[in-house]
Formats: sequence, C-alpha cells, structure tokens
Amino acid sequence: MNSPEVRIEVSKLCKSFAKQAVLCDVDWTIAAGSVVGLLGTNGSGKTTLIQCLLGLLKADSGLVMIDGENAWDLTARTKARIGYVDQRPKFYPWMNGSDLLQYVGAMYPNWNSALCAEYAKQWDVPLFKPFGKLSPGEQQKIAILTALGNEPDLLILDEPVSSLDPLARRAFLRSLLEIARDENRTILFSTHITSDVERVATHVAFLHDGRIQWFDELDVTKERIRRLRFRSKNNFPASFTIPGALHIQIDGSLVVASVAATSEADIEAVCARYDAAVEVEELNLEEIFLELHHVDA
Amino acid sequence: MQSSQLSFSVSPSSGVPIYRQIIDQVNALVVSGRLKPGDALPSIRKLAESLEVNMMTISKAYTRLEMDGILTRVRGVGMAVAEPDIPTSASVKERQAELRPLIEQAVLRGLQLNLSNPQIIAVVESILRENRNE
Repeated sequence: MNSPEVRIEVSKLCKSFAKQAVLCDVDWTIAAGSVVGLLGTNGSGKTTLIQCLLGLLKADSGLVMIDGENAWDLTARTKARIGYVDQRPKFYPWMNGSDLLQYVGAMYPNWNSALCAEYAKQWDVPLFKPFGKLSPGEQQKIAILTALGNEPDLLILDEPVSSLDPLARRAFLRSLLEIARDENRTILFSTHITSDVERVATHVAFLHDGRIQWFDELDVTKERIRRLRFRSKNNFPASFTIPGALHIQIDGSLVVASVAATSEADIEAVCARYDAAVEVEELNLEEIFLELHHVDA
Repeated sequence: MQSSQLSFSVSPSSGVPIYRQIIDQVNALVVSGRLKPGDALPSIRKLAESLEVNMMTISKAYTRLEMDGILTRVRGVGMAVAEPDIPTSASVKERQAELRPLIEQAVLRGLQLNLSNPQIIAVVESILRENRNE
C-alpha cells in the first residue's frame, strides 16, 4: 500500500498493572491498508496493547494517535469508523442476536443491516436465541457482526477466532479476506494461531517483553528470519557468532543458527572463515515465533 | 489452456512465502508448456478467492513475474504468458553458471542424505521428465 496516510501511531507507550510493567516504551506505526497479525505468548500484553490503542485503557505514559487524534480522546466521528471485537464479548444476556444488532446499530450514523444479515447467513449465526444461552463460539460470531455492521475503516479484533471451530474459523477468515479487499481498510487482529496470520495478514508483529520485538511484512519476515546450518571439517569455536543471530547452537563441526536479517555477505564471510558449507532453511511463522522467543522447537 | 483449468495450490504454513510458491508454480507451468505464450492467468481476485489468501499476495506474485518477463499485462485479458525471452545472448556456459548455485544446494543435501551419485542424478532426471512433458 502506498497510501501516505498513517492510521495508527504509537509512541513510548507504557502501561503497568500493580507495579508490574506490561508494556514498556512501545513504538509502533501501522500504515493504512495493512492487515496486521499481532502475535505474542499468553500474558505478553496483546489485549492491554489493543485496549490502549482504542483508548479503552489509559496508558501510564506515551501516546497513541489514530488518524491524528489522541486515542484517549477520540471524536464521535472517528469512533464511528472503528470496529472492535473483545476477546470475551459481553452483551445483555437476555437480548437475542437480531435485537442486539439493531440495538448496537442504532448507535452508529451508518449501519449496514443487510451486510450483517449476509454474514449471519454465511457463518450460520443463530440470531433468535438469547445471547446468554449461546455457546462461546456463537457469542463470538455475534460480537464480530456488531463490529462489522458500521463497515469500519479500522477493524481491531482481539483473538477473534479463539472460540470458533475450524469450519467457522475458515468461514470467518474468508470474510476477513473479503473485508480486507478494500485497500483503505486497516485491520489488526491478535491471535496465537500462526496459520491464520499466514493466510490473511500482510504484516506480522510480535509482542515480547513489553515491546514490539519484530514488525514487518509477512513475506519479508519469512525471508529474513531463517535457520542456517554450517558444516565444517573442523570444530567450531565456542565463541562462534554471526551478525543478526537470534539463537546459536554449536555442536562440534555443526552450527545451527537462527538469524534475522543477516546479509548474504555475512553468511559467505562465515563460510570462508571456517571453511564451512551452509544450508539455508526457511521457517514458517510458528517456527519463527519459537525462534524469536528462544524456544527450541 | 484455459486459466480455469489451472490448479494452483499453496501451503500457507510453509517457510516459503505464498507469493513465491505462486511464482514457482507459474514458472513450472510455463517451462513444461502447460501454459503457452498468450494464455491468460486467472484474475488476481479470482485466484485470491480460490486459494483463500490475501489479494496483495497474488498481486505481488504477478508483478514479480511481469518484471521477470514471464507474464505480461494484456488489455482486456489481464495477465497472460509473455513470449519467451530466453537469454539466447548468454552462452550455455553463462546459463549453466546461473544454474549452478541452485543445484549445488540440492546436491549437498543429497550427499547429507547419503545418496549415491546415480541416485541423485535419478532425482534430477525424474524432475526433468515431469517438467519437459516428455
């Protein structure tokens, strides 16, 4: 996307709960038109970050700007352009889906009931049972409908598929791809299912130790974070290192190094220095996730 | 060949980015002659829909293939296979030199897997048979 318009700008965002720092100095810019998959371990702060982005939680310090407006103080006009799905949607338990959509829709200047009806059909959503009687997956589907009815320019989904079965998940991802077709639409979704990100996202972000540890295009991420196997006739020294290393494992004449953004020249230099042959292994997102968190697969 | 008959398949959870999987498959179809110069490719939207991937992914693959001279944009058709632009100016030696590093990776892997020379060559030959449509 070449749109110069910046949708979300986060600078020096900090948030602690009871003296425990969750977000420390998060700097992050999401351009308009991106579809961003936000990944992180349980408890890494994905939900906290999302709620700070939307002004649902007040940051201790730092700033979030959405389309040039402070997220803590958004105008009604900007709020009307945002759709948000909470990880655990809460609505009146006695209201059925159909009434709920009408109720939520009444709060927006523009509400597309036909679109909601269409998605409800596609995802097989029971609209005439009280919300409180629905399964978590069905509740989640209705929550997603309430976030799509205003045809938002910015759609933020916190673990949107966590309660959905594989069939419903695929149906939802198909819809998400359809929604993403509008190039001016920005979508951010957190998940721990890396394969969902691989299908839908243009960008991927990893939240780790309170910071955005990595943020780039998905393809670029896959091309930059790789595993290198160096084999030599001689043993490698314990001091072996290579620029961009995330994790190095030395085993006699074999070195397995996971690296980020290491140049071909650096790889060739290592080969020349140790008289070694190299084998480059491409990693999928799950393996990249593990490598970024220094966990042996 | 009609573009509707082309079957692409991608594996999103591969280490190879999806756009590169598509590039590889188009290249293979062209090299094998299953796609001929002038044949139309499915539209970006159609292919994205059928593979259930982001449209930008397909767009990126097509753009790269166009830059490589494999595809060309045809008015009213969309993307089509370009007339072959085989680098005939380059000598056989030069073209072999271009191929060598790619094969080297594969051969090294074969040695690691403890395959004999004829066994490695047999793999290469079977790939040639599959792709030359012989």
